[in-house]
Amino acid sequence: MSILIIAFEGIEGSGRTAHLEAVKRYLEKKGYGVTILGLQMSKLIGERIAQVKKNIVFERRTLFLAYVTDLADQIENYIKPSLDAGFIALADGYTLTLTAWGLARGLERGWMEDVLSVFPKPTLTFTLVSSPEEIIKRIIKKRGYLDPLSAGIDICIKDDVYTAYESYINKFQDALISLSKKEDIIHTDKEFDEVNKEIVMRVDKFTS
Amino acid sequence: MKKGVLIAFEGIDGSGKSSQASLLKDWIEMRRDAYLTEWNSSDWIHDIIKEAKKKDLLTPLTFSLIHATDFSDRYERYILPMLKSGFVVICDRYVYTAYTRDTVRGVSLDWVKKLYSFAIKPDVTFYIRVQPEIALERIRKAKRKIKPQEAGSDIFPGLPPEEGFLKYQALIVEMYDKIAKDENFVIIDGNKTPKEIQMEIRKVVGEYIDYSI
Repeated sequence: MSILIIAFEGIEGSGRTAHLEAVKRYLEKKGYGVTILGLQMSKLIGERIAQVKKNIVFERRTLFLAYVTDLADQIENYIKPSLDAGFIALADGYTLTLTAWGLARGLERGWMEDVLSVFPKPTLTFTLVSSPEEIIKRIIKKRGYLDPLSAGIDICIKDDVYTAYESYINKFQDALISLSKKEDIIHTDKEFDEVNKEIVMRVDKFTS
Repeated sequence: MKKGVLIAFEGIDGSGKSSQASLLKDWIEMRRDAYLTEWNSSDWIHDIIKEAKKKDLLTPLTFSLIHATDFSDRYERYILPMLKSGFVVICDRYVYTAYTRDTVRGVSLDWVKKLYSFAIKPDVTFYIRVQPEIALERIRKAKRKIKPQEAGSDIFPGLPPEEGFLKYQALIVEMYDKIAKDENFVIIDGNKTPKEIQMEIRKVVGEYIDYSI
């Protein structure tokens, strides 16, 4: 088996991290070495993005390029060596998530795809989508509140943060769905185990 | 709509382009609002790049991307709004610096051009052309130390600074020469005196400034 990246794409609250973790446990049980990458997780620039995000909320291209730099650092310095050693890499948000983020903010699709063309293509992609109601509920359960910055406050200033979040999720997910292959789309507003079974079936096809 | 004027300076380290850019800014400021921005100077990325270079954390790809992020930050925050409001914006290094530095590190020119395709073309790009030997001589005379990045220490590790400088800067000159025609560089002979060079630059710039108000 050569390079193997499994990408979990989706907005925050789509179930990205939870399903990635479940697949990680599953693969490890089967004896695979698993390594994780994701948005804002690089040593180089991840923490700094979190610090400055609110100051550069209208600098969409800069933020996009910062996210790309962040992914590139993880891939070049950690993922490639571990893939060479036979590990499977699970991406908690990869190129489609970034492109959907940019599309929702008016960045040019062609430009983003050109920039992202340097990254290895994932062997397997799961585009996780869910209803805004469900996504918002998950985020409130996790964080206790809705963060205006994650709510796409820069693109839709509305009466209240719930309505803003709802229309942002719709915009983001419409973009993500348009970028994804139909067979890669997984609806996560079902029982967790049911969704997990769907994912694991496809993972099995590639790993066995 | 862009109302301002965008002037870029390119050249190797020690070519004298920063002094020329700064002299030009002082001159323009007597007649118009002017702004000077340097390569690699974004408020929040600059120090990350410095740290990463020191610790040798960058690969050719992340070197390229992090400098593009730095540029984009200055572009979105300063360059574009200033151009729209009618400033004369002078860039001490512009995207062509990335074209040369990234490609000598092995990144494809085609991709780097796409990466920076959002940046508008300068009205004039001055390329102050000197041979690396001359630039080195100037650095020696100024009694200043060669910085590791000026000696391309990431691609020629282990070379003495002066030797690294000559080798690395020669590659950069070669790349500048290669793109000069396509990118409409105004090539300035950097062997002339600083005063002669400034006069030549002002003559070219004068035309743009008078017609663009």
